[in-house]
Amino acid sequence: MTTDGDRNTRILAWVTDHARHSGTPVSLAMLCETAVGRLAVSGVTLLADTSSAWPELRHATDMLGARLAELQVTVGEGPFLDVWREGGPILVPDLTAPVIQRRWPLFGPLAVEAGAGALFAIPIVVGAVRVGVLALHRVRPGHMDAPALLDALAFAELALRLPMGAPDGHDGTAGVDLELRTPQVHQATGMIAAQLDVTMAEAFSRLRARAFADQRSLADLATDLVARRLRLDPNEPT
Amino acid sequence: MADERLVETFVELADTLVDDFDVIDFLHLLVERSVELLNVDAAGLLLADHNGRLQVMASSNEHVRVLELFQIQNDEGPCLDAFATGTQVGSADLRAGNTPWARFAPAAVDAGFVAVDAMPMRLRSQVIGALNLFRAEAGELTALSLRRAQALVDVATIGLLQERAIRHQEIITEQLHTALNSRIVIEQAKGLLAERLGVGMDVAFTNLRGYARAHNQKLSDLAGRVIAGQIAAAELVGGQAKRGPGRARRARTAQSTSDTARGPEQP
Repeated sequence: MTTDGDRNTRILAWVTDHARHSGTPVSLAMLCETAVGRLAVSGVTLLADTSSAWPELRHATDMLGARLAELQVTVGEGPFLDVWREGGPILVPDLTAPVIQRRWPLFGPLAVEAGAGALFAIPIVVGAVRVGVLALHRVRPGHMDAPALLDALAFAELALRLPMGAPDGHDGTAGVDLELRTPQVHQATGMIAAQLDVTMAEAFSRLRARAFADQRSLADLATDLVARRLRLDPNEPT
Repeated sequence: MADERLVETFVELADTLVDDFDVIDFLHLLVERSVELLNVDAAGLLLADHNGRLQVMASSNEHVRVLELFQIQNDEGPCLDAFATGTQVGSADLRAGNTPWARFAPAAVDAGFVAVDAMPMRLRSQVIGALNLFRAEAGELTALSLRRAQALVDVATIGLLQERAIRHQEIITEQLHTALNSRIVIEQAKGLLAERLGVGMDVAFTNLRGYARAHNQKLSDLAGRVIAGQIAAAELVGGQAKRGPGRARRARTAQSTSDTARGPEQP
């Protein structure tokens, strides 16, 4: 049906292959390492939610990535934080551009001084559920071509499927499609949030846990919830 | 007369763009005006994600929404073909049995639509989505309607990407990805409201949109505030009252039947 084939499947295969060759399980760290090689970037950084206001650094494939993350926490501004707040990607092919330097007057000059030329920050997000930020950087400025950008989005979506709580863990759900294009999945998430009086993030993880436990697709379970044929038990283990 | 209305629509769409632009609201306005101006009975608009999968962004009613989802779930239908080929596709009579859509055609007829047209949303060589137009009576869409549909689709594409001369893929990616995620935020808020108010999803959406309009707020911002607990569900019903007290009451009483909307009733 599509011009892209199944990009998500291909990205998962890349990460799985890379993990197998390294003799380690599929993990967020493996995802980052794979993205460096496949997307022709200098480094990849992954930040994820914590209880604090800032997304926390989970993995950086190089020192520069770690430095860029640290800088933004220090000065309190930058693309990672904007992505975190706004929920859309911020793609900066040239950090030295005047418009970019004006946009982040503190972070901009410091990022360039640290040796970064381009920075592409993508949210790991499901609607209002902010899970993290996947950021790719290059030491030289330059545009990312369309296929690489789309691949980067697919890497971010795959990051959603890996367990964030255990960065090196693997619970076997990596191959499970989150069916983000099915509106009932998100409607059901909202219903669970109201029923159990929990955050949207908690509601989404309860929905996923229940689908996994019942061996059902998310869309199938969500359809039952939306049609009010089923409710989640507040005491159900997650 | 119709031309005046078309001009008004373009002005209205342009206004939406400059004044506190909200992608989802803009696309909803577009499908509503498509129905009004193109002599069709219903319309739906879909955008593609990075994986080339289409997502329903706006529909003029719940039946169309169900039909659009049907196309996505069955991987078949005019919208998918328009997106995949980048060309306009359609059928003047879905009952004729000569369409390439063995599953979609009877589903559309069941929902009360016998003619369909789909227009690709393109920016130069890139196709970003499609607009689907449905009619309850058989026959070709007039040449005038087709030209108008194309104009509306072009405006939508430009509006969505918020830039006339996009040179690089980065901007397209930023705008599209943000729009797709905004739609998800709204679906989550709908679920929350539906549960809190004891109503169906479409009533929840009507409440959300009514409040956003009455208070001049962006739909996706409002959805975010509802999710963050900054606005109580009950307040949104009050927001409807400003636009006419009867509306909210009717909406509430419609709850039991409005939700799943899979019956073959005429829209």
